[in-house]
Order: sequence, then C-alpha cells, then structure tokens
Amino acid sequence: MKPLIRSFALFVKQIFSDSMLATICIATVLAACFIRFGIPLIEIVLCSYFEREAILADYYLLFDLLLALVTPYMICFASAMMMLTEYDENMASYLAVTPVGKRGYILSRLVFPAGIAFAVSIVLMRWFSLTEWPLGMIPLICLLTCLLSVAVALLLFSFSHNRVEGVAMGKLSGLLMLGLPAPFFLPSDVQYLFSPLPSFWFAKLCMERNVIFLLPALLSALLWIGLLSKKFIRKIA
Amino acid sequence: MRTKALLLGDIRFQFKYGFYFLYLIFTILYISLLYALPAAWREQAAVLMIFTDPAAMGLYFMGAIVLFEKGERVLDSIAISPVKPLEYVVSKLSSIALIATAVGLLIGLGGGVVANPFFFVAGVFLGACLFSAVGLMVAVNIATLNQFIVATIPAELFINIPAIAWLFGWKPGWLIFHPGVCIIELCQNGAYALSAAFILVVWTVMSALFARFMLAKSLRSLGGEKL
Repeated sequence: MKPLIRSFALFVKQIFSDSMLATICIATVLAACFIRFGIPLIEIVLCSYFEREAILADYYLLFDLLLALVTPYMICFASAMMMLTEYDENMASYLAVTPVGKRGYILSRLVFPAGIAFAVSIVLMRWFSLTEWPLGMIPLICLLTCLLSVAVALLLFSFSHNRVEGVAMGKLSGLLMLGLPAPFFLPSDVQYLFSPLPSFWFAKLCMERNVIFLLPALLSALLWIGLLSKKFIRKIA
Repeated sequence: MRTKALLLGDIRFQFKYGFYFLYLIFTILYISLLYALPAAWREQAAVLMIFTDPAAMGLYFMGAIVLFEKGERVLDSIAISPVKPLEYVVSKLSSIALIATAVGLLIGLGGGVVANPFFFVAGVFLGACLFSAVGLMVAVNIATLNQFIVATIPAELFINIPAIAWLFGWKPGWLIFHPGVCIIELCQNGAYALSAAFILVVWTVMSALFARFMLAKSLRSLGGEKL
C-alpha cells in the first residue's frame, strides 16, 4: 500500500507544482457557477430578446450532464498528460517494475484521481445542478462520467507514441462526448448512430429516467475501458 | 533555403503525427455541424469555429511540439547549427498557419461564409501565426504539458474574450486594436477589415519577434550552461 500511496503522492505533487491542481479546482468551480447562475441568467435575457417562453431551459439537463463530466474529465486529462510525459521520459516503464507495479501505476494515475473526481462531482451536482435529480441518480451518473473519463485517459495514452500524438489524440477524444447532446438534438432514430459512445447512453438514461438504459451505459463504458486497458498495459510493459 | 528545409521538415512532422488526419476529421465534423444549425446562425458559428480551433491550433499544439523536440534533443542540434532562431520561428509559425488556413478555408467555403477570400485567408493565416507565436513563447520556458496548458490560459482569455464579444455584437471602435478582434473582422469582411489587416500584421510581426527573442534566450542556456 505504501508504494501506491507514494506513487499517488508523486502525481499530486507534480500536478500541484504545475499549477494544474489549482487550475482544475478553479475551473470546475467557475464552470459550476456558470452553469448554476450564468445559464439561467442568459436564458432570461434570450427569452426576453426573442420573446419566447423557453430557449435553454429544455437543455438544462444537458448542462447538468456537462457539470457531472467536467471534474473527472479534467482530472483524467491532466493525469493522461502526466503519464505521457512519464512515458516519453521512460518513467512509466521504470515505475511498472518497482514495487508500484503495473496495477499500482494504473491505480495511482487513473483510479485514485477518478475516485477523488467522483466525490467532487457529487458535491458539485448536489449544489449546482439546474434540474431536480432523484435520490441515487447523482452518484450513479457521477460514477458513469468517471468511467468515461478513465476511458478517455486510457485512449489518449494508449494510442499515442509521444506527447505530440497525445495532444492530438486529446483533441480527438473530445468526440467521445458527442453522445451527450445527440438525444437532445436528434429526436429520430438517427441518434442511435451514437450508440457506441457511452456518453449517448448516459444522456438517454438521464432523459428517459429508465433504469433499462443503465445497462448499456455501464456496459459500453466498461467495454471501452476493458479494450483500452489491454493496450495500456502492453504499452507500459 | 534553410527556412524552406525547416518548413518542409515541420510539415512532414505534422503529417507524421496525425495533424492532417485530425483536422480532416474535424473539418468534416465542423461543416456537418454548420449545416445542422439554423441558416441565420451559420456565419457566426463558422467564424467562431475557425477562430477557436484551426486559427488557435498553434496555441494548443506548440507545447507538445516544443517539449517533444526538447526531449529528442532537436533544440540542442538547432542551437549549434547555422539555423537562426528567427528561421526556426518562421518555419514553425508558417507550417502551422498553412494547415490552419487550409482547414479554415474549407470550413468557411463549406459553410458558405467566405465573403472576401483575400481578407479571410489573411485573417486565418495571420491569426494562426499569432497564436503559434504566443504558444512558442510559452513553450520554450516550460517543462511539462500540464504547465503549458495552465500557462496558455491567460493568453487564451486575453485573445478570445474580446474577440467573441465583438463577434456577438459588442463593437466599440477602440477594440479594433485587439488582435483577436482583427481576426474576426477579417474573417467576416467587416467595415474595418483593411485597418484590421494592418493592425494584425503589426501584432503578428511583434509576437514573432518576441518569440524569436525568447527562443534565442532559451537556446543560449541549453544544457545548463548559459552562453
């Protein structure tokens, strides 16, 4: 356990010294405040300007989903960037053969940060969400967004050979989030084109409030993680 | 001749590491998104997309490029080669600006928002050079990607916020001296496009020269010894 905690402490120390930790904290709070207070204000202005009853109000749930995603996504992105730096400097392979091991490396760089993001995300959703969430739904959606963020970090790290490709992949990984707005803007069956993306099922689950969508949401996220983990482990071997 | 060789090397590098493939996907995505939006929003949306992505790609990628080159000791080789810092800066800026302009033009033409091709190309090209120069200034002094991401946030806010405010209708005359606003004005072929072109040239040249200064300073202290 001690090497694991030390490895995680190294991660925290690094993102603290890069000012990334402070940036993530400030950015998440700012994003949450913007969603909670800014969006309704913009809605009032837009409605009075266009003389309509609702413009953004129909999409408040989408903003809530973004709120649930923002913390784990940012933390896992920072983690992936750090892993890429460690990989470029051969640190990842060295850490994998120390008592930390491959499992410990994954835990300290992905699982622990995602766990912290999960807790922060729940707090933010409790205080800053725009819509009413049933009991139990907040932890569930936060867990799902954490899983998705871990998948993004794995994708970013596994499919890039160096920092340059990693940054390009980081940009591309944003496409994994396209599933979130799909059910809101594509009412027909065309939306199912986005079904391979876990984010699509997250949005369906929250929109329909039907537990049946939990299964594809969880399975698709775990499938992405499972497939990418194999590549990830081969890479740090 | 050296600049040409550097430029070709940079283009090859960007091709090898997937920049062209990445932006092919994003171009298709952006054009599809434009057609999913109401026609009345299309022009503003297209300009916003071009301004925040292809034009700003240098600010996003420069950290990774420079850190990679530092890791591969490319900068050490550059430091002792006849290549001058300005040639290196020009090559980096123009290679990124070329791809940014091609992508910007494709999105602009795809969305049917290019009113004046000359101003449009000038806006995207100079804008991309400016963003890349800022990225280069930051990149030469950082050690990790996370540091780069954090360090570019103030520059992004400084360039983006007034420009986006201008795009959405807040247009006091004095704001035309802002570089981001100049890019928007050129892309939209606005009333001040000609003045914006001159102002943006000045901003771009100044930032390129400052990037050159920062790079030269960094090259002098490579390897731990200040020359």
